Order: sequence, then structure tokens, then C-alpha cells
Amino acid sequence: MFDKGLLTLTDIKKTMRGLVGLYILQAFLIVGQAVSLGLVITHLWNGKPLKEQFIYIIGFMISFAGREGLQWWSNRWLDDYARVEAKKLRKTLLEKVFILGPELVQKQGTGHMVTLTLDGISEVEDYIQLTLSKMISMMIVPIVVLAMAFYLDWVSGVILFFIYPLIVLFMIILGYAAKAKADKQFVSFQRLSNHFIDSLRGIDTLKYFGLSKRYANSIYKTSERFRKTTMSVLRVAILSTFALDFFTTLSIAVVAVFLGLRLINGEITLFPALTVLILSPEYFLPIRAFANDYHATLNGKNSFHSIQEIINSAEVKESKLELHQWQPTDSLKLDNIEFAYDDNAEPVKFNTEFTGYQKVGIIGMSGAGKTTLINLLSGFLPLKNGKFEIQGKETTDLNEDAWRNQIIYIPQSPYIFDNTLRYNIAFHTPDASDEEIIEAIKAVGLEDLLEELPDKLDTLIGNGQRTLSGGQAQRIALARAFLDKQRKVLIFDEPTAHLDIETELELKERMLPLMKDRLVIFATHRLHWMKDMDKIVVLKDGKIAEEGQYDELLAHQAYFYELLNRAKGGEKNV
Amino acid sequence: MFKKIPLLQELKKDTWVKPFLKKYKKTLVLAIFLGILTFFCAGALMFNSGYLISRSATRPENILLVYVPIVLTRAFGVGRPVFHYLERLTSHNWVFKMTSDLRVKLYKALEKDAVFFKSKYQLGDVLGLLSEDINHIQNLYLRTIFPTFVAWGLYVFIVIGVGIFSIWMGLLMLLMIGIMLVAFPIWSVIVNGARQEYEKKIKNELYLDLTDNIVGITDWIFAQRGRDYVKLHEQNEEKLIDVQEKLHHFDQIRDYLLQLVFMLVVVSLILWGGTYLGGSNGVYTGLANWIAAFVLCLFPVVDAFAVIPAASQETNVYKDSLVRLNRLQDNSFEEEKSEIKLIAPYDIKLDNVHFRYENGSREILKGINLDISSGDKLAILGRSGSGKSTLANLIRGDRVATEGTITINDIDVSKVGDQISNYIGVIHQTPYLFNTTILNNLRIGNEEATIEQVWQVLERVGLKDMVKALPQGLETMVDEAGMRFSGGERHRMALARILLKDAPIIILDEPTVGLDPLTEQEVISIFNRELKDKTLIWITHHLQGVEAMDQVIFIEDGTIEMQGSPDYLRKTNERYQKLKAIDEGR
Repeated sequence: MFDKGLLTLTDIKKTMRGLVGLYILQAFLIVGQAVSLGLVITHLWNGKPLKEQFIYIIGFMISFAGREGLQWWSNRWLDDYARVEAKKLRKTLLEKVFILGPELVQKQGTGHMVTLTLDGISEVEDYIQLTLSKMISMMIVPIVVLAMAFYLDWVSGVILFFIYPLIVLFMIILGYAAKAKADKQFVSFQRLSNHFIDSLRGIDTLKYFGLSKRYANSIYKTSERFRKTTMSVLRVAILSTFALDFFTTLSIAVVAVFLGLRLINGEITLFPALTVLILSPEYFLPIRAFANDYHATLNGKNSFHSIQEIINSAEVKESKLELHQWQPTDSLKLDNIEFAYDDNAEPVKFNTEFTGYQKVGIIGMSGAGKTTLINLLSGFLPLKNGKFEIQGKETTDLNEDAWRNQIIYIPQSPYIFDNTLRYNIAFHTPDASDEEIIEAIKAVGLEDLLEELPDKLDTLIGNGQRTLSGGQAQRIALARAFLDKQRKVLIFDEPTAHLDIETELELKERMLPLMKDRLVIFATHRLHWMKDMDKIVVLKDGKIAEEGQYDELLAHQAYFYELLNRAKGGEKNV
Repeated sequence: MFKKIPLLQELKKDTWVKPFLKKYKKTLVLAIFLGILTFFCAGALMFNSGYLISRSATRPENILLVYVPIVLTRAFGVGRPVFHYLERLTSHNWVFKMTSDLRVKLYKALEKDAVFFKSKYQLGDVLGLLSEDINHIQNLYLRTIFPTFVAWGLYVFIVIGVGIFSIWMGLLMLLMIGIMLVAFPIWSVIVNGARQEYEKKIKNELYLDLTDNIVGITDWIFAQRGRDYVKLHEQNEEKLIDVQEKLHHFDQIRDYLLQLVFMLVVVSLILWGGTYLGGSNGVYTGLANWIAAFVLCLFPVVDAFAVIPAASQETNVYKDSLVRLNRLQDNSFEEEKSEIKLIAPYDIKLDNVHFRYENGSREILKGINLDISSGDKLAILGRSGSGKSTLANLIRGDRVATEGTITINDIDVSKVGDQISNYIGVIHQTPYLFNTTILNNLRIGNEEATIEQVWQVLERVGLKDMVKALPQGLETMVDEAGMRFSGGERHRMALARILLKDAPIIILDEPTVGLDPLTEQEVISIFNRELKDKTLIWITHHLQGVEAMDQVIFIEDGTIEMQGSPDYLRKTNERYQKLKAIDEGR
């Protein structure tokens, strides 16, 4: 039951020892509270004057206030402890994410990554706090209370002792029953619960088909079906709480009745009887508190484990290659490199060479392997076989700082941070002066945008503020490239696939000058770019189908030629 | 004072929570009653046990004298869990029932602007947010409203119950439990409310900021500034940690103080019991048997009171959901029955059409004149943002021109209503496939379509073999693992749907954006082949496949800049020639 993952927290043993001490103290105060209350009531019942009871009443008040005070103090202490631990965990996680980069994010999904870092960590915080406090109090308080009950009246002690495992047993049995029931309904459950959001997402389609109004009835019916399914699961699921409730209250009732009968027979006196009665709810309190929060801690436990998995998974690799700034005489050789996303898939294979300030076009249709090649060149994927040779040095992956800080990477939709125009343009070169930035803006044709912005360079742009068009976002990425004269390798990944043709044309005019004196790797399925490339690598089904210059490839009349023809809507139609 | 409680302010003009309290009133009352009974039984168990033990200690000769308390003890012992169980079932059932109504209400509110909903709310996942809001209302009921009613019910019961024995003691209870149920919650909401507001704000900012930077992670890595960002995030997070620390510390102190108030309640009961019920000078009176009963019975009941301050404080979180939902326009409707009936052939006519968004300063369309006769194939070209899609919305009657008219067979399209779907079908950029079977997805086109008809259209769009090969065929869920439709296949599904619907006019709204040229060419060929008998309005941003059209128009700055058959334009228009050459890769 105890989660071993918790043992990785700092000072956990010390913390737990402290908690054990606190709860022992608290258990004694609980006993003190019951005894003093029992004494007061017994004395009053015996007709002793109230005046003489003040000492016991004060004893009760001290015990009560002390017990609750300890609770407050331990909550606060644990809360602070959990907060500090959560903070450390978050820092480690984030560092891992921002070093490992896109591969991890792709695998986990952006949304999941963000939720894990923010909500996940706060769930872990709750988990640490609740598990530690509830578990330790459950292990200590009932034992002390039970010992006292035995001391006062062994019959009640026996009843209380035997009821405990019964509760645990029933809760486990009913828990399994509920799970089985829920599992059985899981598929339809899942479908029904997603139905509403699915309908909202497709509401325009429904409208186009003239069904949207009638569909309101279907929403109601499905929701009602969902209600019935949920209720049928719930009826079983909350049975475990029922069992817990049932056995606790019933055992209190049984204890009371037994005490009553034995009091009539004179086998016991009022004081121990009353004190045992007061103690018996306290005996069950910790397990009830634990059961109450059990479900709340489950999410935290899962998050805790996924976070630990990420943290422990990949080792951060040390960069070891020493490279100089890319020169016209340098070369990058892809020596029969192979990669596959999973072991069963057919691996992609590439064997080619890029030299100096070549402009290399990578052309291919969807699924041909363009993105995989780009990711390999960016160092985001490890090789399965083969090697790279860069500036004469061999390596099995390009996850190297010395290589990455030479690259400017421009994807299909360059990311625009929610920040100022200046920040976005000078992202690689934070020290750039305003004059340099304005020069870059002119070079990529963003003057109109700058004119439009109320605070010029200091205007906030990005999704939250002012959404830019696809063409404008591309220009900002180009401006980054223009500013950074140190970086001599330009990698484009489908930079114009989703733009309208005239915007594409305007961008092309701005892009070509930037490609001068740089090694350019340009992946696209738009064929017109190929005329401006020095070398064309044609991909098909994860392999290089052919490579060469534009005219050579045309003369071949092979795959590239066929692509050109088919794109024209030519002979080979479906 | 109450003005400082945001939820109460919002509830004043609310149409999402209050109306439903009245609907299903009986179940609601039952749920609250069962909740009160639960705590009543818990208290009564201790009350009764206390009495039973005290009475037994007097050693009555006949066991029958304590027979009633013995039976009652068992009854209350069983009653508490049973009522608790029933209460939870009833309250959940009630909340789910209400959820069904809320969902319909939300759906109807969104239906009005369904077609341009996505462009209206560009930011984030508004739909997800709204459906999440309904879950928040569920929680508002289960975690705040129900417990509050139950606590107040018990409060009234205790004050009256004790008041019967002693008016002064009743008044004291009124005061002390009142402190727990009124003063503590208000104090809590006021002190922590502002903090919570701030916490929510920072959390939201962090969420946006982190999403922003994780999406842009490639840039951080290439810039090799990843550690800078982690440091920055830590700094921002510090503010959140700070306010959460204050929030929690407050909660902890408040809960402690509340327990102390309860302690005073117990002590005052002891003092009262000792004074009025206890014997004096060693003389035993029968009344003394009640002391234990009164003192012990409140211990289990305090649980009902202790949760109220936190529950009230939580309402701050729900306020945003209520605000968002209440901002939606109510839109209740019944299925409409339109009398308008159009008869073939269908001729569309746009006469001097102008359009401007309600709050927009810029005129999107500035006088468009266009005749589309039955069977025409028209391509509309233009840059993104030039108003192409707006034009499509206008033709379908989803938007109304600010000036000029759009008619089909001389009938104003905006008057046709939902019947328009029988005349105009639409395929757009990302056809939506519902999370249900292939068959159901296709039957959205025509609910009465037979299985044969469905296979027929699948054959026409070239998906028959693929669907046949699936183990469950037409009954396959479109989203099931390993069975995702590629871009091209989605468009074919959408086309199959349209074919089942068999509307005479089809609008294609940039259906091929992002597809590679070969897939695009395939999709276009199929569209052209299968829709050849229909009027076709094809909105596109480049020229691939445009030769198959009868007429091409270019929209620029809200007017028609260029117009003619593809053949004519290719011969006479330099700009057209240039663009065409690029599309062909020359």
C-alpha cells in the first residue's frame, strides 16, 4: 500500500519520524479528551456539584485544543514540506523538458506536458501531504485508542478489535465489485461522456446538413442515458463508503448496547463505559478520513509516477563534438543512416552528402520521410544504424550544441511567442539594436506590419494578443535568420505549404537572398522551389529515389519528372 | 457585506442555476431531507447511547425500562449509513438530470452561430471550456449548495430542539453555531476571495505562458536558451506559491478556530447540563441521565458545519463559469417548418453585395455582382482574408449582406432557414467526423439511406475497398486505435456524405489546403467527377485543378479583380499565367 516512490523525496524518513511522534502525542490527547469528558459527565451524573468539575472541564479543553492544535500544526508543516518538494520536482521536470526538447513533447503531447507540469505537480503536492498524514495517523491513533479501550473494558476492546479487519475486507471486496462493474460499462461510458463535446465540435457540420435543431433531442437522450449508466455504476461504487459507514455506526451501537446490558448487571461502572463510548468514534476516525481522501490522492499518485518516469527516462546527453563555424569547404555526410519510430516499422534509409553553401531541396509527397530527415538533421532523433560525418568528425546523432548553434530552423508555422515584436524577432540575438531589427524588418518586408502596430517594436503580438497571418509569421522567422549572421545553416520544413500562392510568391523573393552564403536544407512538396536549388534529393517511401540538379532530373524522366507531370493534373489521373 | 461575495452577485441575473432549482423541486427537497436525516441519525445515535448508558448505570430492575433506547440505538446505527447512501444517490441523480437540461441549453445557445463559431472564438478550446463549465456547476451543487442547505436544516433543528428545554441555551446555540455557519464563511470568502482571484489569474497566466513556450520549444533549443526559460518560469511560479501558501495558512487557522468554537459549544452544554440537569449535593435525579446525551450528540454533527466555510470559499472558483455561461445568448427553438420550396433549375444571383462585420471597421466585400446558373462550375480565388469564405457564408444565408441581395430563383437566401441544407451542401477544410461508426457518420447526409446506398457512395469516392477490409466494416468507429483517416480520406468521407444528401449546389471551402500536390490532385479529380451534374462553387487559394471550372473569379480588396474562363485567362492574363506556372512547378 505504501508507495515506494515517496521514499525518493528529500528528508522523507525524518519527516515520517516527526509525524509518528506528533500522532502519538495526538493519540494521547484524544484519550485525555475522552477521559476528562467521561469524568465530568460521570461526576455530574453522580450529583457532584459543578464547581468541583472545573479542573476536569479545563482538562477537556486543553486536550481538545491541544489535539486540534497538533492537527493544525502538522497540516501546516506537511503542507510546507510538500510545497518545497513539489517545487523541486517541477524544476527537475522542466529542465528535463527544455533540454530533451521536441521529441519528449511530441511523445507526451503539448497539452499533457503543460497539465503535468502545472496541475500534475499540485496534485502531487496534495498526494504527498494527504498520504503521509492520513496513513501515519491511521497506523498510530487507532492502536493507542484501542489499548485504552482494552484497559477500560476488555469486552468493548474485543468488539472494536474484530470489527476493523471486517471493514477493510468489505471495502476491498466492494471496491473490486465496483471496479468490475465500471470496467464492464467502460466503453459505452466513455462514448456517452464524450458525446456532448463531440456534438459541440461538429455543430457546424450538423448545421450544414440541416440537422442541428433536431439534434438537441439527441443530446438530451444521450445525456439521460449517460445519467442512467453512471447511476448504475455509482450504486455499486458508493457501497464501499456505505460499508465503512455501516460497520462504524453499527459497532458503536453494539458497543453501547453491550455496555448498557453490563451496566444493568453491575459488571461495569459508568465512567469506563462512558469513556469507551466516547472513544469508539475516535477509533474509526482515521480510517474514515483515509477513505475519504483516497480517490483524491489517486490522481496525484499517477501524476507522481508519470513525472518520475519522465525524469528518470532519458539521460541528458553531453555534447562532445567540437565544430567550427560552417565554411564553404565543409561537408556533412549521411552515411547510410537508418531510423524507425518503432521496431516493427520499415526503417527509413538515407545516404547522401551536403557540402559548403549548397542549397539542397528535399522533395517528396506526404509520408515520404521529409520530416523524419529534418528531425534527424536537427538532432531530435537517434540513429538506428549508420553514422553522420560532419567536418570530418563522426557521430551517431546530431544532438550536439556545437551543431545546433549554427542552425536556423524555419518550420511550416513558425512559433510566435506571446511577447513583443522585438522579442520575437531578436529571439536568437537578444542583444540586437533597434536599428538592426528595423533593417531586418525591411529585409523581409514587414514594414507594413510595423506601421500598423500602435507601439511599434514594443507591441505585444502572438495568439493572446494580436494574431498574425501565416505569411507574417514566416517573415518574422526570416527576420530572425537575417539578424543572426553567425548561423550558417538554414533548415526549412515546408515553410509555405499552407500559404496562398501569391503570398508564397512574395515570400520567395525575400527568402532567396537569405539563402546566399549558407548551407540550405529545404524540405517541401511545392515543386517550383526546386529550380532555385543546387541539389535536389527526391524522397519516396522513406528512401532517396534519386538526386541531382533540376535539369539532370528532368532529363532522367524518372520519379521527379513524373511528379512534375502529375502535379500538372496531367496524364496519370485516378 | 454580501456585495463582496462574487457568486451572489452573479446569481442575481443568472439563468443557468436558479431556474433548475425549481425544476425537479421534489427530488431536490428529498436529497436535502435525506442529508439532514443522515446527520440527525449520527447525532441521535450518540444522544441515545449516552442516555442508554446513563440510564443503565442506575441499574433498573427491569431490562424493559431500557428496551426502547436499545432498539433506537440499533435503528440509528443502521439509519445513518442507509440515509447517507440514499442521499448520495438522490443528489447525484438530481445533478445529472439537471446536467442533461443544461447541456441542451448550452447546445441551443451555440447552435445559432454554429457555422462561424470556430472563427468567432479563435482562442483556445472554448468548446471544451464551456462543457467544463457545466461540470463546475455540478460541483457547485454537490459541494456547496447541498451541504449548505443540510447544515442550515440541522442548525434550525438544534436551535429549536435545545430551545424547547431552555430558551437561553437555545439562543446561545443560535449564536455559536451561527458563528460557524455565517461569520466564518463570510470571513473566509472576503479574506481569501481576493487571494483566490489572484491565484486563478496567475495560474491562468502560467498555463498560457507554459503552453506558449512548450509549443515554441524547438526555438528555445536551437537558441540554446532552455535553462533561461526554466529560470523565468520558476520566478513566475514563485508568485503562485506565495499566494497559495497564504491561502492554505489561512484555511488551517480558520479550521482550527472553528474547532475551538465547537469546543465552547460542548463546554457550554456541560455547564448547562451540570446546572440544570445534574443532581445537587450528592442527590441523584432522573434528569442527570440526559447530560451525557446532550453533550455527546453534537460531536458527529460538527462535521456538517465544519465543511461550510471551505465550501463557501470555493464558490469563487465557480463564478467564472457562471459568468461565461450567462454571457451566451439564450436561444430556444423548436424545429422549424419552412414553407419555402425551391424548384430546379437553381440560379444564384448576387446583386451589389456588401458586407461588414457588426463591429468591424473594414468593409470585407464591396459590391459583388455575380450570376451562377444551374450546373455552373465556379472557382473563387483570393488571398487569405480577402473575404472568400465570407462570400460562401453569405450564399448559404448564414450571414446577411449589409447591402445588396443574394437570391436563389429570386428568393432571398437568408429567408430560407435550415431548409437551405436541402439545396446547398458544404465541404470545408477540415471535415468533421463524429466519434461514432462510419455508417452513422455517412448517414448524417441522409438518415434514411439504405446500406446499399451507403456502399454505393463509398464506391463512388473510392473508399469501398478500404472499408470492406475493416473487420467491422461500416460499424467501425472512426476514431478507434489504428484506424485513423488520412487527410485525403477524410475529404472522401465528407464527399460521400454530401453525395448521400444529394443537394444540387455544392460549396467547397478550401477543401485541399495542406495536402500534397498528388493527393490534392486525386481529391480534386474525384470531386469533379462525382459532382459534375451539380452547381459547384469552389473556393481555393491556388490554381491546382482550376482548368476543370467554367469560370474563375479573383477577389481582391473586396471586389472582383479578374473574371473569365480558365482558358480565356490563360491566354490573356499575365498574372494568371505567372501563378499557374508556379503551381505546376515551372
